[in-house]
Amino acid sequence: METFYSILPELIRIVICAACGAIIVFGNALVMGYAERKLAGHIMLRPGPMEVGFHGILQLVVDGLKLMGKQLVVPAQADKPLFMIAPLLAFAPVFVPLLVLPFSEKIQGFDLDVGLLLILAFASLNVLAILIGGWGSNNKYSLFGAFRSVAQNVAYEIPMLISLLAIVFMTNTFSLRDIAAAQSPVWFVVLQPLAFLIYIVAMVAETNRAPFDLPEAESELTAGFHTEYSGMSFSLFVLGEYANMFIVCSIATVFFLGGSSGIPLPYFEYSGAIWFLAKVYALMFFLVWIRWTYPRTRFDQLMNFCWKYLIPFSLVNLLITVVMVKLI
Amino acid sequence: MDVKSVVQQWQKMATSVEEVDYAVSGYDYSICLEGATVPAFASMMLEAGFYLVDLMAVHVEPAIEVVYQLAHVETRCRVMARAFVDEKGEIPSITDIYQGANWHERETRDFHGVVFVGHPNLEPLILAEEDVDLKPLLKTEKTLKDVAAVRRGQPEDEAAKPEAVKSPEQS
Amino acid sequence: MNVEVLEDERHHRFVLNMGPQHPSTHGVLRVLLELEGEYAMSLLPVLGYGHRCHEKIAEFKPAKSFMPNTARMDYLGALIYNHGYAQLLEKATGVEAPRRAEYIRVITSELNRIQSHLLWYGAYLLDLGAFTPIMYAFDDREEILDILEDITGSRLTYCYYRVGGVCKDIDDKFVTRTRAFIDRLRGRFPMYDELVNGNVILQKRLINVGDLTPQTCYRYGITGPLLRGTGVAYDLRRAEPYSVYPEFDFEVPTETSGDCMASFKVRFREMEQSLRIIEQALDKLPEGPVMAAKVPKKLKIPAGDYNSSVEAPRGELSYYLVADGSDVPYRLKVRTPSFSNLSVVPEMCEGMLLSDVVSAMGSLDLVIPEIDR
Repeated sequence: METFYSILPELIRIVICAACGAIIVFGNALVMGYAERKLAGHIMLRPGPMEVGFHGILQLVVDGLKLMGKQLVVPAQADKPLFMIAPLLAFAPVFVPLLVLPFSEKIQGFDLDVGLLLILAFASLNVLAILIGGWGSNNKYSLFGAFRSVAQNVAYEIPMLISLLAIVFMTNTFSLRDIAAAQSPVWFVVLQPLAFLIYIVAMVAETNRAPFDLPEAESELTAGFHTEYSGMSFSLFVLGEYANMFIVCSIATVFFLGGSSGIPLPYFEYSGAIWFLAKVYALMFFLVWIRWTYPRTRFDQLMNFCWKYLIPFSLVNLLITVVMVKLI
Repeated sequence: MDVKSVVQQWQKMATSVEEVDYAVSGYDYSICLEGATVPAFASMMLEAGFYLVDLMAVHVEPAIEVVYQLAHVETRCRVMARAFVDEKGEIPSITDIYQGANWHERETRDFHGVVFVGHPNLEPLILAEEDVDLKPLLKTEKTLKDVAAVRRGQPEDEAAKPEAVKSPEQS
Repeated sequence: MNVEVLEDERHHRFVLNMGPQHPSTHGVLRVLLELEGEYAMSLLPVLGYGHRCHEKIAEFKPAKSFMPNTARMDYLGALIYNHGYAQLLEKATGVEAPRRAEYIRVITSELNRIQSHLLWYGAYLLDLGAFTPIMYAFDDREEILDILEDITGSRLTYCYYRVGGVCKDIDDKFVTRTRAFIDRLRGRFPMYDELVNGNVILQKRLINVGDLTPQTCYRYGITGPLLRGTGVAYDLRRAEPYSVYPEFDFEVPTETSGDCMASFKVRFREMEQSLRIIEQALDKLPEGPVMAAKVPKKLKIPAGDYNSSVEAPRGELSYYLVADGSDVPYRLKVRTPSFSNLSVVPEMCEGMLLSDVVSAMGSLDLVIPEIDR
């Protein structure tokens, strides 16, 4: 009993964090789903959803209900267990990174010493989900999409990690809160512009979004790895994608854009979250913007870009950073 | 392109070369060929820089007539070359000369049943595999006309035409 | 996962069936691909899903009443298909369309050509993964459709031309709207140029992809923008002038590289030339009737064979008519440009990446119903 009372606050904290995580994941999907459709619409000279609610604001709620009501079709030749696991595997891991993100100085689930490693470890589970889904669908297009996805994500994780590593060398910590706090006079985007650029490119590729949306390149592979998915299993992939976007943009905010720092507001330890979210959604807007602007790259160009430019440049950047840190 | 020398070459291999009025018929030369000379004719045309516009068949009495339409990109010279298939319904393929003829020949095989000898893959193209013997564009006995009935032959047409280039008769 | 495998030395190839329902085949075309990794080692287009027996139908009804069928072959260049057919019968029967009718034909045909190119532009970029340009292209195209709908009564499968003229005269509203449209589209071109055509990703996807040479084009009978992209300035409006085209001043745009970028640019510049033609035609538009005075109800075609070739948006369109003296054609053969253009795919795309196959096939600007007829 003694021990129970001692860990009770921690348990409550976990429950609250999980609940907040769920709110963030679903709320983010609602906001981004609506924002993306609306932005895409306006970029494309059309109004986007207009029917349900004021300017279609309830469209995503209705869509969610519809998707829940739809039948889950499992193709006859599919590998059923794998086919069913894949969407869960794409969706479930996105909660963990949310626990360590410092939304403001005081709003943070857990401040782990290895926060960055935790995030990257769980983010790479997404690849596994796509591979399993593509393989389990027993569809040639899905398989192609899955293969492309694995090659792409494995390749782009490297420059992503190396560019973040440069920041870690400067701050000497993996803790996200400390990294955010280390940028009080100048944001790292000023000190590490190259790392920031590399991270942004890798971030787009990691989330499989246009112009690097090759795993689901619809003009080539119909819908890529999720060709066979319908109803809720499809929407779990979408939820996972938006949550992943949120996470990578949050990392960019923490590492390069000063986390929750900004013009002081009352109760800044908490209200800093407003700045944090503003930065995250600005980056997400950027992602949406380029998705609806650029054509898709070719697969070999994508890989060449990573191996021939991003990785060498990120390594050079890391080397320079290390030397500078040593000298100063 | 030198039209005159090309016409001379035609006259060597064709049974008849006739210049027709472009304003009425929409092409410049009408050439009648023996089935066997078609590949030689096609090679000559490719060398002269003609491109293959079309290849089609017309079902007339006494035999199915295969029509090759060719045109030149530099000078206006649109040619209709005709050749009858032999008794077995066969004619040499020109697919190895004009690769574009590949599909046209398969289509003609679909619609008229003309067999192009030397074609790499004479499978049905437009029709389904099971309709290989359908030959939908063949005329029935009632509708089949003699070749003379579909040739331009009215006297007033003849008068309007510029002087026709007749080739020396070949047997 | 059970993967179909081929026998013998090709056993490691992956057979992918692209189509008949696939976003980038633009219709019911099926392409059998044998892939090694991402590379397409052999391609086999399978046709016939949209075959509607147009040539057979033509042999069963009076030649005049085949006009609506022509529009259904190429739903994007319907007026130009009308034009070729009307011209064929006019040649054969000696009926002459009045000059005003010919001018109206040129104006509407060129509008139709721009409309077709705009749709290609949007759909091609969609193939390449750019989602937005199609909406801009459709925005412009919508204006053309509205203009044409006013005088022809339809928006896609027009049947506006008749033997001996056009069925309805144009009005002032048409003229003012068309002039406004010319200015509008001219204003849009710089935007297209800046936002899309200069994009580095687009250039990397198009340059040196799907190379053609003039010789290849002759062997396969490829015409239209693809041929002009290899440096041959062959346009039937110039090479075999028909209708009143000789009276207008326009260029035949060419590029020399012969790749997808070349035909992309050629099509783009053709739209500008079409605008020039329309502008001149509106300036010179003569007064008078739009139908020939005496067109017999039963149109007897003298025995003989007739050919009529026009420049369709995708290349050369030829009608070949064999007549036996009655009003029903003995044989009508339609030579459609996409048929010949598509037949080069097995040679052109061999050994290409899957993405390049999509990009090369998109540059052919395929309309499947005109291939199957």
